[in-house]
Amino acid sequence: MKFDLVFKGIFSAMFLASIMRISTPLILPALGGLITELSGSINIALEGVMLTSAFTGVVVSAFTQNVWLGVLAGIIAGILFSALLAYFHLYLETNIILAGTALNIMATGGTIFLLYILTGDKGNSSSLASKMVPVVEIPFIKDIPVLGTVLSGHNIFVYAAIVLTFLTSVLLYNTKFGVHLRAVGENPTAATSLGIPVKKIKFTAILISGFLASLGGLNLSMAYLSIFQREMTAGRGFIALAAVYLGGRRPWGTFLAAILFGAADALSNQLGTLDIPSQWVQVIPYAITIIALVVYGIQRKAQIVEQTRRFQERELAKVNNNHTTT
Amino acid sequence: MRKFFSNPAVRETLRVIIAVSIALALGFLVTLFVSEDPFGAYKAFLLGPLSKFNRFGDWIEESITLILVGLSVAIAFRANMFSMGTEGQLLLGALVSGSIALFVPLPTILRIPLAIAAAMAAGFIWGWIPGYLKAHLDANEIVSTLMLNAIALKMYDYFLIFHIKAPDAGYNASDFFPVEGSLPSFIPNIPIFERAYALFSDKTNITIMVYVLIIAVIAAYYLIYRTPFGYKLRMVGANIKFARYGGIDTKKTMILVFAISGIFGGLAGAHLSMAIHTKLIANISVGMGFEGIVVAILAKINPLLIPITGLAYGYLRAGANVMERSSDMSREMIFVIQALIILFVTAERFLPTIQKRVEERKENNSHAEKIAPSDGGSHEV
Amino acid sequence: MALLVDMRNIVKVYSNGVVANNGVNFQIEKGEIHAIVGENGAGKTTLMKILYGLEQPTSGEIFIKGEKVEFKNPINAMKKGVGMVHQNFMQVPSFTVAENIVLGNEPTEHLFLDKKKSIEITEELSRRYGLFVEPAAVTETINVGMRQRIEILKILYLGVEILILDEPTAVLTPQETKDLFEAVRVLVEQGKTIIFITHKLREVKEISDRVTVMRNGKIMGTMQTSEATRGGLARMMVGREVFLDIKKTKMKRGNKKMVVKDLSYVSDTGRTMLRDVSFNLYSGEILGVAGVEGNGQTELVEVLTGLRIPAAGQATVGGGVVTGKTPREVRMAGVAHIPEDRLTNGLAVSASIDDNLIVDRFFNPPFRKGVTIDYEEIEKNGEEMIKEFGILTPNGQLPVSSLSGGNMQKVVVAREFSSEPKILVAAQPTRGIDVGATEFIREQLVQKRTDGAAILLISADLAEVMSLSDRIITMFEGEITGVFPDASTIEEDELGYYMLGIKRQSKKEMEALL
Repeated sequence: MKFDLVFKGIFSAMFLASIMRISTPLILPALGGLITELSGSINIALEGVMLTSAFTGVVVSAFTQNVWLGVLAGIIAGILFSALLAYFHLYLETNIILAGTALNIMATGGTIFLLYILTGDKGNSSSLASKMVPVVEIPFIKDIPVLGTVLSGHNIFVYAAIVLTFLTSVLLYNTKFGVHLRAVGENPTAATSLGIPVKKIKFTAILISGFLASLGGLNLSMAYLSIFQREMTAGRGFIALAAVYLGGRRPWGTFLAAILFGAADALSNQLGTLDIPSQWVQVIPYAITIIALVVYGIQRKAQIVEQTRRFQERELAKVNNNHTTT
Repeated sequence: MRKFFSNPAVRETLRVIIAVSIALALGFLVTLFVSEDPFGAYKAFLLGPLSKFNRFGDWIEESITLILVGLSVAIAFRANMFSMGTEGQLLLGALVSGSIALFVPLPTILRIPLAIAAAMAAGFIWGWIPGYLKAHLDANEIVSTLMLNAIALKMYDYFLIFHIKAPDAGYNASDFFPVEGSLPSFIPNIPIFERAYALFSDKTNITIMVYVLIIAVIAAYYLIYRTPFGYKLRMVGANIKFARYGGIDTKKTMILVFAISGIFGGLAGAHLSMAIHTKLIANISVGMGFEGIVVAILAKINPLLIPITGLAYGYLRAGANVMERSSDMSREMIFVIQALIILFVTAERFLPTIQKRVEERKENNSHAEKIAPSDGGSHEV
Repeated sequence: MALLVDMRNIVKVYSNGVVANNGVNFQIEKGEIHAIVGENGAGKTTLMKILYGLEQPTSGEIFIKGEKVEFKNPINAMKKGVGMVHQNFMQVPSFTVAENIVLGNEPTEHLFLDKKKSIEITEELSRRYGLFVEPAAVTETINVGMRQRIEILKILYLGVEILILDEPTAVLTPQETKDLFEAVRVLVEQGKTIIFITHKLREVKEISDRVTVMRNGKIMGTMQTSEATRGGLARMMVGREVFLDIKKTKMKRGNKKMVVKDLSYVSDTGRTMLRDVSFNLYSGEILGVAGVEGNGQTELVEVLTGLRIPAAGQATVGGGVVTGKTPREVRMAGVAHIPEDRLTNGLAVSASIDDNLIVDRFFNPPFRKGVTIDYEEIEKNGEEMIKEFGILTPNGQLPVSSLSGGNMQKVVVAREFSSEPKILVAAQPTRGIDVGATEFIREQLVQKRTDGAAILLISADLAEVMSLSDRIITMFEGEITGVFPDASTIEEDELGYYMLGIKRQSKKEMEALL
């Protein structure tokens, strides 16, 4: 009986729509992680960026009673936070993992600290009258039966996520900056030999990832929920990194991988009513990522062995020919 | 005077001290603005753990966990393996030890060692996995350990919610561990130690884990500096090509490094469950794994210094707790201070910047003046 | 004809005191193909690095087309028309050919990349200079010849007029070399000027107009290629200016210690680095390998010491195979190895001297006692070695990084020698170190040989090879071209011919002597 309902629930438009909403705060930081990854840095501070922007957005929107000022403030806060990471890593030569971990700790603690000061509450910001971003109803589409529910009626960040994935792809593959960024990440010596400023590009990449991640954070506190909660990012910054690898380090792959994580989350909620522990389903994307790592590793090994074998065969054939002719 | 300052050990210590001082000063600045009684609040922060026995106990307890995770991280980082996996090892260690403490019908004398051993084993396995993946498949250990952390958390939550917690419990936590599964105090309740017991055991929660910790620190030190495995670990960390050239089986070493680092992580989990909380709760780890990274780095990944940095870090945390309880400042401020300390201490160019520039300029000048006669030595030109 | 490039009185002294260029005057005329030849250490690479802006001269001036220039970096040089085609390609493997060629100066339309234009540019350049490439191919999948053409097209795109090619045929197959030479001729027809660094005299004769010979940081002579003979060039290149006075007792050769048979090795770019290499090592004898670097010596060493697996053939010690085994197994068989790059393989610079001295024996007594390591013994060992090998350091617990180059090498030597090896493979044992350490290490090598070890000595320093070795083999392009049973009776010119592939002994001639 229940199974019936759940089954219907999963294959409903509402469910697909919920996947979109749940995946958005994963897609956005994942895109940021992708950009830094391709420039040769691991941005382990996405978590901190998201918390910082989520918090700033809520506070500023509450005090100015203007949702857009809140969003702007959140973005600026996120970018400044990332600038700290970039500065410590690129100019003061701190190991990026250490700097990132430090900044994450600072963000986690700092946001709770400031929350307490501003509201006297350490749990969430419900006492603040913060704003939520608008929901978009697309004119014609919203009236189409199934598609309407899935595509229309989302908050702006959901659409932003899709558009930004596209823009990220354009940036990376269709602009000079993107080419230089990828060159810096893959062969910095070659880039330097051609006059490409490696440090400047890495710095910019970190700032861009800050921008993207901050949108993800704002999404959490001003769209998904209407408040800031302590530690509300719940590891999304790290899942974002996993999505980058799972997605083969390409924009749409990352997008899909993030959706996979989001879908597992959504699914686990549905199945919860069937008394299937949500954890079983939530674990799936993580397990898949590890399996992907394993498969990739095996593939690469086989590739190398195969390549060497083929070349060796070819060369020995040549050598043998020489022998027989001389 | 100059010679004193050019000694690297002196410089390093100076740098840590300066970094800590700046961070604490900044923290005080913040307190000035925020608190109604900044001096009182900061005094509670800086002196709190020493003021009362239970606060002192608090400090020691926090430090034990921190030292254990610090050791876990240090073992891996020492071999140049950036394992982020302590968090997951910690969770599984807590889960396993907690389960045994709650459910295995053995007398204390057997139950507790079993729980601890099981936690160590769980950590070992959870460390072995990314180690194997890295050694044989060259899998990125940062991603694999982060994933395993997440999986461990799901496993922990699942078992806690669906199998361990009492069915009618309000929130996600187990019952308190029974006496047989609780760690006894570090001073036994016998006549000879009456006075000490009254002073320490009554007022603090310090358990026998403190002895386990001491053994763990000594074991870690011995392992890294006094065993063949430790030698292999250090050589792999210093130059893996050299290790291979010299005959060391780098793959096997790598795997063991991760696995042994996991043992310490599991142990930390056992401490969390059986000493600090004496039950299993949701969110038991609260990012301890990452704080372990901080403790290890501040100690320059030297196992002998980790107890010091662990205690220092633990002191900050305990002080923050006191501050929160006795003033209007919230304890989270210390996270900001911690972060600042890390950033300043690990910024390679932080203090040496000025000194380095002076040295670089000197080198450039002498370079231009020197024209040595040809001596025919081999040099790749 | 106006001078295109005029380098006057170039002196380059490195911070370790080595004089790489000692008053070099070098001129290039427009439209010529000019070869620079010399052994390793002759100074040709340094001179070109200076011209190309990667290094700055200690003194001297450079004029391009009559205008004085100072190149602080390669970008400056390229702006003035000088470009270098490196041996290590400066390419992004995942990019397409076209993307790599225009990298850094991509054509754009408004804000976006004009990919079509990149391909057009590539095709146009390719056509104009006769350098065939596939614009849309992914760089990491194409062969080495095409990858090199990308490097060339890349600098042509930036408008260079003078192309410096650094040992361009080192990575090419014979067919690819032919194609390259065709391309070079087309480039010249199109008004470019080519300088190329090489040690392959056959190629010099084939392609260049003029040739300059360098030796020991000086120019030995410049001439029209048509007037030069390979022999004459070899004589100018190879010479012993430093007379090494090394006292050696007469060799007493003992048993065969290592048998190397038909060793072949193919790199993963498909080049054959070793081809049917066979020889024997005898106890009490130093077998020297004379040859210009890059002719397979590195690969030979790594195959014999467990760091690489051969494609064919094997080496045996006392009947047991040692190729295709782990470094530990090779060492257990009694083979010690002084690596050519001590910083990469031979030492862990951040670890202590004591630790570096025991990496091959830490698991044996007296260093290991059960499950622990005895540091007292390790420090004692360190003390002894420091004394015995004259390592300049207050104590053995300091990191290796605190030592000078020569002393670092002494640590390597101390370790490898003290393992009482049956066979010692020594690659460039005195490279980059001071005179005192050099003398010491050479003496030690000879002593070890007199004591009965079988030593394989590989060195780019011909003087060293000739003075230290009892028997010499020459290697060229991965093959053994000659074997000389008595090193004291051979002339360096003669050796030079065999090292440079001008002369070759037949297999039959060599069989008995290897």
